[in-house]
Amino acid sequence: MAEMIRKSSVDEVVNHLILAGTCILLMITGYAFLFHVEIIGALFGGFNTMKTVHNWLGVAFILSLLYSLHHYLIDALEYDADDLQWFKVAGGYLSHKVKVPPMGKYNPGQKLYYLAVVVFGMTITISGFGLWFFQSNATVMLYSHLIHNISFCVFVIAVPVHIYLGTLANPGTFQIMVNGMMPLKDAQKKHPKWIKAIGKM
Amino acid sequence: MANDTTNKRKAILVTPENCIGCRACQVACKSWNQLDAIKTKNTGTYQNPPDLDADAFNIIKFIEVPSQMDPMRWLFLSRRCMHCGDAGCMTICPSPGALFRTPEGAVAFDHKKCIGCKLCSSACPFDVPRYGEDGKMSKCNLCADRMAASMTPSCVKTCPTGALKFGNRDELISAAQKEGFKTIYGEKDLDGLGTIFAFKDEPKLYGMLENPSIPTSVIFWHTYLKPLSLIGLGGVVAAAAIHYLAIGPHKEEEEKEEV
Repeated sequence: MAEMIRKSSVDEVVNHLILAGTCILLMITGYAFLFHVEIIGALFGGFNTMKTVHNWLGVAFILSLLYSLHHYLIDALEYDADDLQWFKVAGGYLSHKVKVPPMGKYNPGQKLYYLAVVVFGMTITISGFGLWFFQSNATVMLYSHLIHNISFCVFVIAVPVHIYLGTLANPGTFQIMVNGMMPLKDAQKKHPKWIKAIGKM
Repeated sequence: MANDTTNKRKAILVTPENCIGCRACQVACKSWNQLDAIKTKNTGTYQNPPDLDADAFNIIKFIEVPSQMDPMRWLFLSRRCMHCGDAGCMTICPSPGALFRTPEGAVAFDHKKCIGCKLCSSACPFDVPRYGEDGKMSKCNLCADRMAASMTPSCVKTCPTGALKFGNRDELISAAQKEGFKTIYGEKDLDGLGTIFAFKDEPKLYGMLENPSIPTSVIFWHTYLKPLSLIGLGGVVAAAAIHYLAIGPHKEEEEKEEV
């Protein structure tokens, strides 16, 4: 069997599962509120219960997102010349012929995606709390409602892209989300700068 | 974004000039809708209760407008849900069936389906929705149950002076216009209100909004953000499928070195 290397700690994997699970459930219940999808409401025992579930899923989501900061934030804020080159070749996703520059643990697409999730995760949560706790203030409610829905649009567009790139578009990647491991050989090709940094090249 | 209204639309016509401030309408409303009494304090006005409440679907506003000509001028204005043709509360409500349009064109509510999010009050141009102790919305529903049995709303039924009239909306408007009321408040606003007013004076004198409208952010959300959330999701899923078929998943470069 090929030699494996740990890309994500158990801590990271579990937290990402919570973040992903709450995020997807929040989006599904969000769509149900937005478009009056009665069948989704029925799955939760009615819209009353679904509101409570949606609110508390939001709490779990933001706790998980805040916890993830120590996993990814430092990496997500560091960019170098190879990252710039990565954008010029669109990460190699638009053609298999271009040469993709050597990457560290994360490519700049992932890093920007993470920053977007942090920013809009904060706006959607703060506005969510606005809708939850400032019901007697119409101004707060209207601004919160607007910001909540703008952030929602960002999530429903960005998250499916992330899911596609983490599954079908990059075979083998999904395994990392499940057990945190990837073959060392693949890591040497995909993340040479990271492997060099940990001395396994 | 108009909510459906039928051509048999009913309305209440308020003619404040005829109102004597007896508040029988308030009592009749409480009686029919079985609303609890509210403890209030005398604050120096006959207006009581001071505002709409989860247990007060209609009130008479007592407005004093003293002038040199008429130092004792006192206006009475019957206030309730306006039953907008284009109702902000219905547009923003996230719970299906909690607010609904009756066949007569009234905006009615289902207490059980309300989830108590209180978005309706922030989208209402007229500050009508109120919330009971259970956090759920209640307001005038134009006596939807009475209308369904071809009866007049209880407030209109009891009004002794004709300050409140009920009937087909078109007919009420043309009758009022024949009587000499040039403009009917609520005739055109928000696709026509279901509570319309025949004022002799400027509506502003009675504290009415000059151009009632649904908050801009709610219209923006309804017109652009809602469709965007669907088109956006569909778009990226389609783009992913096209990418998968046209370009294909990432492949590690063939391991030429080893050959």
